[in-house]
Amino acid sequence: MIETIDLCKSFATDSKKPLFARRPLSPGIRAVDHVSFVAADGEITGLLGPNGAGKTTTLRMLATMLSPDAGSATIDGRDIQTERAQVRQHLGVLSDAKGLYWRLTARENIVYFGQLHGMSREDAAQRADMLLDELGLQPIAHRATQGFSQGERMKVAIARALVHDPQTVLLDEPTNGLDIMATRHMRESIRGLKRKGKCVLFSSHIMQEVAALCDRVVIINRGRVAFNGTPAEALAATGLATLEDAFVRLIGTDEGLMA
Amino acid sequence: MSRTGDSRALDVARLWCVTRKELRDLLRDRKSIFWGLFAVALSGPLVLGIIYFGAGAINDRVEHLTAPIVNARFAPDLVRHMERNAISVDIDPPDYEARIKSGALDAVLVIDVGFSEALASGRPARITLVTESSRERSAPIAASLRAAVLSWAQQIGRERLVLRGVAPALADPITMEEFDLATPSQRGSRMLQIMGFYALFAGLMGAIAAALDVTAGERERQTLEPLLATPVTTLELSLGKWAAVSAVNLLAVTVSLLGFVLALHLVPLDRIGLPFSFGWREYGGFMAVLTPFSLMVPAVLLAFGAAGKTAKEAQSSLQVGVSLLGLLPLMSFLRQTQAPWWDVWVPVNGQFAVLNRVLRAEPIAWHDWIAMAVVPLVIAALSLVVLRYRLGSERLLAGR
Repeated sequence: MIETIDLCKSFATDSKKPLFARRPLSPGIRAVDHVSFVAADGEITGLLGPNGAGKTTTLRMLATMLSPDAGSATIDGRDIQTERAQVRQHLGVLSDAKGLYWRLTARENIVYFGQLHGMSREDAAQRADMLLDELGLQPIAHRATQGFSQGERMKVAIARALVHDPQTVLLDEPTNGLDIMATRHMRESIRGLKRKGKCVLFSSHIMQEVAALCDRVVIINRGRVAFNGTPAEALAATGLATLEDAFVRLIGTDEGLMA
Repeated sequence: MSRTGDSRALDVARLWCVTRKELRDLLRDRKSIFWGLFAVALSGPLVLGIIYFGAGAINDRVEHLTAPIVNARFAPDLVRHMERNAISVDIDPPDYEARIKSGALDAVLVIDVGFSEALASGRPARITLVTESSRERSAPIAASLRAAVLSWAQQIGRERLVLRGVAPALADPITMEEFDLATPSQRGSRMLQIMGFYALFAGLMGAIAAALDVTAGERERQTLEPLLATPVTTLELSLGKWAAVSAVNLLAVTVSLLGFVLALHLVPLDRIGLPFSFGWREYGGFMAVLTPFSLMVPAVLLAFGAAGKTAKEAQSSLQVGVSLLGLLPLMSFLRQTQAPWWDVWVPVNGQFAVLNRVLRAEPIAWHDWIAMAVVPLVIAALSLVVLRYRLGSERLLAGR
């Protein structure tokens, strides 16, 4: 379970700060501004918002890669700032960057991350084989990932994030760049996680995806939570027929949807 | 800028896991590894070959000397003197000034028009040695010609004294003898100062590709962010990457020096007057100096390579590190005065100095060995602190 309370994060904007200034002159932009929500176990929570809304920054803070400026968050009761190592240990992350080691095989990529999570080589290998089977990657498991298609790479990245069987899974735009078949496959995998009682938080800017998968939706716009509830509640709150219209109404603009 | 904190900074199993993965990843890059090691291993024999043929060519030119003489008809005795001394004479070479300028001729003797009259009447007769002093390879030829002329002049002078009943020794009140303290192997090593350069070069080149791969490459492939989301700590990452790159670098140094030992067995340097030896004693000395050095270079390069937001920036930053390390030995190469005591404590420069002492078979003081060990390891430690700090920096993610 993920609980965030008033998470805030700013970035410096003036990249051309004076050479000897110790800190940026302007306070920068607020990428995430008092974001609070709860994502429960056994549910899929969608973090929805236009490009640049603060989804990735929020996920990076939850993954303990960025420190919040203010506010707090816990994952299964573990504080993301004071208990980072424990948080990481039980967290599966498909980050914004989904690169693989080209010269390693798919299996080696997955086993490496299992070992980094403290698994023995045998356990990691066994678990990797299971995931490779599940994702239909077994035929290419022993090939270097250099020549993989976008979909194959994404699957390996997913397997890498799940190798240590984490209770909580963060997925940053998991269907980005995938074709229809791969997207369907990915959705099935995400539903599979839900069936296993995992807490899944995934970000997307694609409405259909959220509508098809999510139990709850957190709509973020310009760093703030614009809506937090079930898809049905979103429709009820706006009185509109489709989630897409509701989304546009809730964020007050159709900017960003074109992307 | 805050850092991604670590609760337990160093887990040995995880460190070993990172090292093994980086090594495997690096060694699979067969093309880079092959070219890296191959180039480094081959450059030793190549350097030797160049020295061998270079020195051989000089010897050849001095041994089979030709004396181009302008106006030779005024000094037939000089021509005979030359020929008696196995120097062939090229009489009145045309267009000699231009040919000296262009390098086709090294030096030319020009006999004065009034030479024979002056010689006959006992006045100093003039011969001009025309050469191009800025061209190094012409110097030995010019020196040989000068020596040949002077020996002839001395011979004439002595004959004149004898004719007048004076002992020739009276005209030589002082004899000057040179006593060179350099042992034969030291004289050879002067020529082969380049060897020290070459060995340091191997310790630098072996690390560049690997350092680039594990820093800038990690960004280029977008693998750093997933990595930082795992429990692995920045300390483990820094040490693991350093250990892997160092292993590759040490391999490159070992291979290149072995190549040198083997090449010296094949190339008879002493036959061309270079009594230079690079046997197992020198090999041991070189490895003792270069092992800490080969651990330092990767750390420095990694610290530079982790700078900047993009792979491109990391690459240019790494080049700064390479040039810094590469230019330091110029200090002692160009210095004309005796080295100050702190010379060996200057990184790279100090290694260069001690490597040369190994070649010259000079004793090396214990405090010099301490410098060889302490300086690189301190720099490596500092660089690793920087590397760890940079890997943990949030800017790294924000700027992707």
